[in-house]
Amino acid sequence: MRALGLSLALLGFALVASPPARAQSGATEAAPARALDDAALRAACFDLLGRPPLEPERAEWLGRARHEFLDHWLARRETWANWVEEQLYFFLLIDNFRPENERVAELPTLLAAGKLDVRTAIHRIALSPSFDQRNPGADTFVTVVMEQLNGLRVQKNVRELEVGKGIYDGRPGTFLGKSGSTQADVLRIAIEDRSFSQQFLVREHRRIVRAEPEKGTLAELARRFQRDPAEFRAILREWMLSSAWDERVRSRTSAPNRMWIAALHVDLLGREPLPEEARRLRTALDGLSDTGPLRSVLARVLIDSGQVKLPSKEAIADPTRWIADLFARLLGRAASPDELRAFVAAFHEPECRPQTVLYALVTHPEYQTY
Amino acid sequence: MAHRNDVSLEHTGRLGADRRAFVLGAAAGALALPSLARAALLAPQERKTKHVVLVAFAGGVRTRETFGTPGNVPTLEALAKDGVLYKRVKSSNLGHFGAALSIFTGISEARGIRENARGGDPTLFEYVRKDGGLSASEVWISTSGGAQQTNYSYGLHPDYGARYGANTVDGDGLFNAEFKSILDAWGRPKTLPQREAELLGRMRGAIGGGASGAGDDSARVEKYILDELTSGTADIRGANAADAKAIRVARNLLVLFKPRLVSIVLQQADAAHGSYNGYVEIIRRNDEALGDLWRAVRADPELRDSTAFVILPEFGRDADLNSRRGLDHGDGSNDLEYVTATCWGPDFARNRIIEDDVQAIDVCPTVCELLGASATKARGKRLPRLYA
Repeated sequence: MRALGLSLALLGFALVASPPARAQSGATEAAPARALDDAALRAACFDLLGRPPLEPERAEWLGRARHEFLDHWLARRETWANWVEEQLYFFLLIDNFRPENERVAELPTLLAAGKLDVRTAIHRIALSPSFDQRNPGADTFVTVVMEQLNGLRVQKNVRELEVGKGIYDGRPGTFLGKSGSTQADVLRIAIEDRSFSQQFLVREHRRIVRAEPEKGTLAELARRFQRDPAEFRAILREWMLSSAWDERVRSRTSAPNRMWIAALHVDLLGREPLPEEARRLRTALDGLSDTGPLRSVLARVLIDSGQVKLPSKEAIADPTRWIADLFARLLGRAASPDELRAFVAAFHEPECRPQTVLYALVTHPEYQTY
Repeated sequence: MAHRNDVSLEHTGRLGADRRAFVLGAAAGALALPSLARAALLAPQERKTKHVVLVAFAGGVRTRETFGTPGNVPTLEALAKDGVLYKRVKSSNLGHFGAALSIFTGISEARGIRENARGGDPTLFEYVRKDGGLSASEVWISTSGGAQQTNYSYGLHPDYGARYGANTVDGDGLFNAEFKSILDAWGRPKTLPQREAELLGRMRGAIGGGASGAGDDSARVEKYILDELTSGTADIRGANAADAKAIRVARNLLVLFKPRLVSIVLQQADAAHGSYNGYVEIIRRNDEALGDLWRAVRADPELRDSTAFVILPEFGRDADLNSRRGLDHGDGSNDLEYVTATCWGPDFARNRIIEDDVQAIDVCPTVCELLGASATKARGKRLPRLYA
């Protein structure tokens, strides 16, 4: 038992202090500030990319500074493609209501290049025919705009709702303090209103930091965002470098279906799911309140499909290390001595296959969190 | 600690054995209840109703196109003739999501139309499960509106919540041909030899100290899903395909699991925004699908004399057509705010029409009471003059 504990300690050291990419350099370096361990790297990838790191990315980024990671990925199309997906999901513009036009399709590229800000991006999404089809009629359209863009309860803002509906139907009026006379005016006014900045920042803060922003801080951020919506990239960077985000890394919450699907593909197949694969699986999982049973079925189906490349049992020379690495890679944490002991003991039984170990990890509820 | 759902696909036991296990489990649960809760559970056992089908005929449906045009809804007409018809049920224009949720919580509470989050109040599913000591397999919701509607299964009230939630299945989400094609391509999970299954259970049990929380219910749900995927539900087509799947799923659940409570949430009548004719067609087809469900119940010896139906829209629609010759919902008219509720069951009066105003939020306490539960947080009252 002592030997196992010792080897685990050594392994833990190896994983944290000698990430693969840096271990190869042979140089002696001080650990960077806020160095990315498996937990932080996995969390950061989920938050920015909607998936865990691919194996080459894990090798590249483990042990490096978080700010370097952010600077790299905040300028990448993949990050903003994921951000756009988050927005589409928020507006329930999915499946048949997904906007397919060029102006929405080019958003990730323009956002990554800094040629467009997030407020304009949301404006474009809301101007798409899909948004109109998803929210048909004056009452539904204006209600959704007020609720989702401005965070206003229409039952408490009946007058604004009625004026907004009039403007939607072409009657001039003053909506949220500004004049308008068309459906497009309703959107423009809503998005330019300060309540949009506030609502958007609260929503994004909850998503990234998993907490409510402090009131004073929110007011300041909203002022900053209202002045220049392009500031959002810097705000996002600040959030992910904060101690509040460190706390988020330590907390676990159930992964949305789309993230779980992406994780399963990245972790087991080494690639992201194709959009069509992801859509079909997500639609099925979104149809269940308790997705645990179906997620377990799907994970097992994928492992049994023969597409997952696993070493043969004989080729695994050091089962302890192999299992410990699976814990780090799939759960974003080191295995406890008890966990490692139980897994290694099971692995040595003749009936246990490498697939059995993988089943245990990816069908466990912890794998369904992030 | 082994978890049965790991090896669920190896389960080949007949459903009858599962049913017996459910009944025994529920009985054991009832004996373990505090005396007050037990009294509440036992009192209605003198009633014949053991199963309730609650249908939110939602998407915004006016009475004009249902009981105002009887030819559209022969099933509802027949149910009403043999049951109780509430002609003036006050609903609230809270958006589809909020209005349907208020049927389940018994509380009219504003919710965002596209709000994809759970409410703070307990639902009737939680009341029924908690008070009755029922397993998750006894309480289901079958929906047609996608991700948002899974939020109906339970609220976030600290005394209730996920542990008392209903199983929710979105027929169109899960049982669609595209998803089925993925499973066809990947294949089915392989059956594990017993020893390997034990080792798997042991490893899973070791993760995080063994608190994974999955159990027999999950295993049964897994099996049900896989079986259902191979049936014809995924192949249903037509203007009301999503609604029809939700009704079909509920029918199969009822016949297979004999749950205490099945709720169905329809949605496609909302096509009315753009097409009045399309909306009427969906009402007709949904009525027809409900007719299939009703026939299945009456053909089942265990269900026919013990199952009650409660059917109502979440709200109506505007009095006048919009510029697209469709119907929106926002004019505050009686057509929008008053709907009709149909109740049919072994304990209910027959051919009774109630002209007095009642409320959609009265449904929650009524269904709870029928099943021996108490909707303590609901603000509605029990529907009047319901019983024979």
